[in-house]
Amino acid sequence: MSELKLQHLEKIYDNKVQAVFDFDLDVKQGELIVIVGPSGCGKSTTLRMVAGLEDITSGKLIIDGKDVTQMPPKSRDIAMVFQNYALYGHMTVYENMAFSLMLRKENKNVIHQKVLAAAEILDLTDQLNKKPAQLSGGQRQRVAMGRAIVRTPKVFLFDEPLSNLDAKLRAATRREILLLHKRLGATMLYVTHDQTEALTLADRIVCMSMGRIRQTGTPLELYDEPADLFVAGFIGLPPMNFFDVAIKGGQAVNVGFCAELTAEETELLKGYEGKTVTLGVRPENIVRGGNITVDVVSNENLGQSTLVNGTVGSQKITCKFRDWCRYRYSDKVQVSFGKKHFFDKETTNAIR
Amino acid sequence: MAENMTDAEIKKDRMRFTKNKLSSGLILGAVAVNALYFVSIYGSDVGNYYYTLFIGVSIVYDLVFMLLAFLSAEGVKVYKMSYSAVAVLLGVLQAGRIFYIPMKAYHAPNPTADTAVPTVMSAGQFGYVSACLGVSALMLICAGVIGIVRTRTLNEYQAALVKQKHGGADDERA
Repeated sequence: MSELKLQHLEKIYDNKVQAVFDFDLDVKQGELIVIVGPSGCGKSTTLRMVAGLEDITSGKLIIDGKDVTQMPPKSRDIAMVFQNYALYGHMTVYENMAFSLMLRKENKNVIHQKVLAAAEILDLTDQLNKKPAQLSGGQRQRVAMGRAIVRTPKVFLFDEPLSNLDAKLRAATRREILLLHKRLGATMLYVTHDQTEALTLADRIVCMSMGRIRQTGTPLELYDEPADLFVAGFIGLPPMNFFDVAIKGGQAVNVGFCAELTAEETELLKGYEGKTVTLGVRPENIVRGGNITVDVVSNENLGQSTLVNGTVGSQKITCKFRDWCRYRYSDKVQVSFGKKHFFDKETTNAIR
Repeated sequence: MAENMTDAEIKKDRMRFTKNKLSSGLILGAVAVNALYFVSIYGSDVGNYYYTLFIGVSIVYDLVFMLLAFLSAEGVKVYKMSYSAVAVLLGVLQAGRIFYIPMKAYHAPNPTADTAVPTVMSAGQFGYVSACLGVSALMLICAGVIGIVRTRTLNEYQAALVKQKHGGADDERA
């Protein structure tokens, strides 16, 4: 277990494109940090900088109090699990897992013990004599994890490890990673674009966009108290509904509706009286009954809930109701908003 | 599981997942050394002297030898007892080959009446090809014997594991 400090990391490529801006993060011992963000936001670049696969343009990388910024990857004592597994096809599972230790010229008996222990953790004992081609995607990913485990590195890095798996296997492997983290108590840095993975796995989430950290916090903090419009829209599925509203006399007024504000909300928006702000409402915070009329466009039954897509005035809205609904196109549903989020129109930051 | 094992047991247990590369390597080495032998034989006058059915059989034998040796190398690698036996057999035959062309040629009078080399095969070439065949034979026999020992060890170990597993299951049932 190790502490990891990323101090003001920046990455500027040779063509002057800056991929990462001032990335600052302290990872505590045994913490699982998930870096989440859309494609091209710089999350993988950050991970590769930590691994040593990309040079750090500026800033410092400190592992266990030791500055490793200029160290080559092999000296950083970090293990990385890739999206495409990166297994050696001509080697058996056992050989794949033992390979890095053999390169280190460790005692063969010690290697054997470590490989067996890792295989047991990952439930791969019966697969040790097989080659990667004979394994399923999930098993291959477990081999890739096993290869990392046997090295007992200071930090584990995961670069979208579940992206190649189908939905069912992804959920199962996600649980395995979580169990693995609990069992090893290892410091882990996990990159994904899938917010479900982020919310279910992370001790803390780092949400990135355009090379910058937008918010760092626990999954609940990011879900419940998003720092800005981007985080609010990115975290949560289906995404949050946004409306431009004018704050007038304890009400949020929009072309399509007029929502009553609570005393707390009125107090919060005291400085915005007469101004336009962005109102955000999560689909699951919309309840039936109220003065807002939704014109139904589609009704998606998910089993445990129903997604109702429609319009309020001319704006799109998605509602998530807990029961099985049978709305049809052009039906009208009266709703009201539960928990509301407000964002400054200019800065896009949350109003708190 | 492996934490409670002694070093000797771990060594045996390792064999379940590692290949017998030593035997396999020795057999491939024997094939390479045999190649030195036949290059020397067929590149010399001895080849002309024996360019009859005699040398033809030798060529065919070399081809069959290489095929069997390669097969044996692959079989021994994964602890197949029969292939270890094939390696030993090939080694014995390889030693016997010293008495086939080389020994005959070494003792046969030179038909060209070359006073410098009174026999078909010179003493130097005889020593060289005999050494090639001898080394090749030794490598094959060693590979085979190592293969047999390791395969037997592995088989016994695996049988013990199965017994232990069933014994454990019986205990649990009891």
